[in-house]
Amino acid sequence: MNGHHREKAMRSHSNIRTALLLAWALLLVPRTALGQEAAAYFKQNCSSCHTIGGGRLTGPDLKDVEKRKDRTWLTRFIVDPRAMLDAGDQYALDLQRDARGAVMPALPGMTRQRAESLLDLIGTESKLEKSQFIGVRISDRPFTQRDVDLGRDLFLGTVALKNGGPSCLSCHGAHGIAGLGGGTLAPDLTTVFERYGGRKTLAVWLSAPATPTMQSVFNKKPIEPEEILGLVAYFQNTLQRSPEDASTARLNFVLLGLGGTLLVLGLFDVIWNKRFRAVRRPLVESKKLENVHE
Amino acid sequence: MTGPGPFFLDEIFFVVMPYLAFIIFLLVSIRRYLTQSFTFSSLSSQFLENRQHFWGLVPFHYGIIAIVTGHIIGFLIPREVLAWNSQPLRLYVLEVSAFVFGLLTLVGLVSVIVRRFTVSKIRMVTSTADWILFGIFVVQILSGLYVAAFHGWGSSWFAAVATPYLWSLLTLSPDIAYVTAMPWMVKLHIVCAYVMIAFFPFTRLVHALVVPNPYLWRKTQVVRWYGIRRFASGRPGADRKM
Repeated sequence: MNGHHREKAMRSHSNIRTALLLAWALLLVPRTALGQEAAAYFKQNCSSCHTIGGGRLTGPDLKDVEKRKDRTWLTRFIVDPRAMLDAGDQYALDLQRDARGAVMPALPGMTRQRAESLLDLIGTESKLEKSQFIGVRISDRPFTQRDVDLGRDLFLGTVALKNGGPSCLSCHGAHGIAGLGGGTLAPDLTTVFERYGGRKTLAVWLSAPATPTMQSVFNKKPIEPEEILGLVAYFQNTLQRSPEDASTARLNFVLLGLGGTLLVLGLFDVIWNKRFRAVRRPLVESKKLENVHE
Repeated sequence: MTGPGPFFLDEIFFVVMPYLAFIIFLLVSIRRYLTQSFTFSSLSSQFLENRQHFWGLVPFHYGIIAIVTGHIIGFLIPREVLAWNSQPLRLYVLEVSAFVFGLLTLVGLVSVIVRRFTVSKIRMVTSTADWILFGIFVVQILSGLYVAAFHGWGSSWFAAVATPYLWSLLTLSPDIAYVTAMPWMVKLHIVCAYVMIAFFPFTRLVHALVVPNPYLWRKTQVVRWYGIRRFASGRPGADRKM
């Protein structure tokens, strides 16, 4: 009897334990999922400008950010940075000044809820001795000519990016590209080294590019650290020059196109020289000629 | 940095429109083929009149075939296109050639439009759909040429950006992040392409789906349009072939 009781008690105890475990797991799962989602979001959208404990990039180091400013303000700012600036918020204006005029962009899919979960993430990561968002460590060694050459080759595409990303030339121009120049879809990169605040910030930016089009392409095909080093070395090198005047290259391109078109039209005329032109007209004309001769 | 446009507009232009256009294209093409088979062609534009028409239909067709093929190649084998473009000289050759074909298409298009305006026989057999189609073509070719000239190098970034976007549509998991920050001329070119696909089965363009192979060996024939009024009242069979 006693044994039976104990067995029953034990069973119910284990039942309770299972239930508690289940409940804990259920509570934990969404939290972890949310945390993971926030981490992935931070990596993709924030880490190109911010570290957590790795020092300032384009934007400030976010370690212990909630000790500097309250959560309500931070949430509002994350959701719509531009609105805070437009409203003349002094702290937001100070941040912009510290970032040398750069404005934090409105982020894709940002909501109050997501901002809160990001702040939770930053809080948790701030407590760690070494956050996973300390920033990409790119070697600090001085650049060599080989780095510059590698960067130039990567820019032109003659050396392919390891993970299959398109070359810079596809969309960007820079000083000293012969022929018809670089792409004109996106800005000239001659002075990007300075615009992006030097070696460290540019390197980190390239590790997770934050503009919409670059992000969509390089998120799946990231640039390797040694490639970043080469590119940054190349951009430091072009810094001394002035950006290429793209209009000459564009004009040459259009002129080549027009010339080529005329050439092909001429070719069509030659190939189909004996084409059927008309029936009546040549008859009339030959008759006229005959009349003249008579 | 170009900011993304209003959320819903991008969704409509780059998710809703392509699917809608494709469905219309498919359903209407099939329906027209089954129920109005004899209209599944391009009505005679008297293309054996060669003094003027030669400079329309020849450059236009060689141009458009090369351009469409180029877009399809960029869609099917983007990696190979990027590999070809890895030498700047090869990239320039490809870009200039593509631009030449674009200009040939434009020359041809302008020529056929002028001919349709000025030759009364041809103007009479030109339907409203034809005129609308010419309008769409003008926008599409001019925007394409503008993009080629001022938003280069399209052959490379098409492979890197447009191809994954189009594949995301095809695999039913649309990802418009690739295109939302594009310059508006690029967006116009994409949207106009969808308009053209949707409008395609209502126009003479269907002739592209049924390549008229016998034209290559059959004897030449001159087509004269009589009874224009009967034609206008919906009886396109009123022509007499000589």
